[in-house]
Amino acid sequence: MGKILLKIEKLKVRVNEKDILNGVNLRIKGGEIQALLGPNASGKSTLVQVILGNPKYKIFEGKIFFGEKEITKFSPEKRVKLGMALAWQNPPQIKGVKFSELLEKISILKGSTSKYRFREVEPQLLEREVNVGFSGGEKKIAELLQILSLNPKLVIFDEIDSGLDIKRLAMVAKIIKKELVDKGVSVLLITHLGQILQFLKPNLTNIMVNGKIICKESDFRKVLRTIKKYGYEKCKKCKFLAG
Amino acid sequence: MVMKNVKNVNFWQVNHKIKNIFERRGVKVLPSPKAWEKFNWVRKILKEKPKEGYFIWVKKTINLPLEACVSIASLKISQNLTNLLVIEKGIKAKVNAVCNATKNNLYATHKAKGKLILKEGVFLEYNHIHKWGEKDFVSPDYEFVLEKNSRLIYNYQNLFPPENLELKTAIHSEKNASSNLNFVINSLNSKIKIKDTVFLEGKNSQTVVRLKLVGRKNSQIEAMSQIFAEAPGKGHLDCQGLLVDKTAKISLIPQLVCQNKEAQITHEASIGKISEEELTYLRMRGLTEKEAIDLIVAGFLEK
Repeated sequence: MGKILLKIEKLKVRVNEKDILNGVNLRIKGGEIQALLGPNASGKSTLVQVILGNPKYKIFEGKIFFGEKEITKFSPEKRVKLGMALAWQNPPQIKGVKFSELLEKISILKGSTSKYRFREVEPQLLEREVNVGFSGGEKKIAELLQILSLNPKLVIFDEIDSGLDIKRLAMVAKIIKKELVDKGVSVLLITHLGQILQFLKPNLTNIMVNGKIICKESDFRKVLRTIKKYGYEKCKKCKFLAG
Repeated sequence: MVMKNVKNVNFWQVNHKIKNIFERRGVKVLPSPKAWEKFNWVRKILKEKPKEGYFIWVKKTINLPLEACVSIASLKISQNLTNLLVIEKGIKAKVNAVCNATKNNLYATHKAKGKLILKEGVFLEYNHIHKWGEKDFVSPDYEFVLEKNSRLIYNYQNLFPPENLELKTAIHSEKNASSNLNFVINSLNSKIKIKDTVFLEGKNSQTVVRLKLVGRKNSQIEAMSQIFAEAPGKGHLDCQGLLVDKTAKISLIPQLVCQNKEAQITHEASIGKISEEELTYLRMRGLTEKEAIDLIVAGFLEK
């Protein structure tokens, strides 16, 4: 495992007078796979949008570092340039823009040559408008293909496993392993049900409840077992709460 | 659209000078003042003798598109064109007409009056491409006459807007004639006035009019789109505006006037702004804010 790549310190975000993130601390090392689990509305998606610099969210306390740099105030495109990438849970439609056009733009910007892969995976997506009429599974594949074109150092997958059938989930996990994990790219998997963890086996699993990471556990199977049996209520009462 | 080989352009004018006229078999091409002098019937259509402009008379179907190009290349040139396109019965034709300024700051004026006559059973696709400098004044006023059973596809595209654009289009549709009009107009530091009117004059005449307007910085667009149903015809207006900058303003005025109880005319109009979510999504793919806006606008104009 390499040096610390992403460091989040005491991050607090408020939206419309409501605290969404209540002091999040997170560290991800180079080449590490981490998972972030939590119930609905616990703040997982807000956290990842904030990490990538979505201007909709205002940070009122805390800092984000990527590598040696503090990036708390960086624009999304600057963060991407440094090597961060996010696969969206619900990506928006971009009407009138062909998926192949967008991929080409990304590849030109990043100087990547990963275009050949697209033909192998879902070639029929290329001629369609970005995310317009895509099924849940197609959206996830499209997100993954864009991520690969970005040549990232850290990838956050926001619910990449939701809406995927088992065959496609296995394919997606295989691509993530081969094209990212095996090449030393750090991965943060946001997941609600945890299906993808069976395939990608994270080094550390974080539990987020009410805008705070309350548990960090190296055995993801133990976490999944506990949640399956007791739900996240048990985590809230756990005496070993993480700071 | 770029005219790849100017020698094959059927009519090519720069400033006030005709650079090239290229006729094909079955196609007569002349400067419009000459056509006015030569043909009695032209004098009946054009009451006054034109000062400049093209005359294209299509008498036989040709497979290649006809091309006309009128450019302004010098400072403060003021063109005053009268164009006449006549297509004889049953002919299928495609015309690409490009009007442009070759440089950005020419302070040019381009006025064009056009009359396009589609005789019985004609099918015409007319692609009208404008590309102007930011200080130009442009005022095209085109009238199409669609005789019975004729069909027109008219695509007007202006992605490089002048400072001032006054665009007028009128379509007269006889029995069973149909038209499909698409206006795609971008604005930037521009004042744009559009008025398009379709008259459904014959039984079963039809039209679909689509306007896509983009309001960028310091721009005002006022678009009035009308259908007059005088006969039992069908028509639909679809006006869409996209506001890109807070200093832009778009006014859309769709108007339906129905004078026949069997006619069916409808409209829809909407003006929206660029979605913040789409913008953020593209920025998270590494595009700058400007690149993301350009891509979304291109998509809006394309779809």
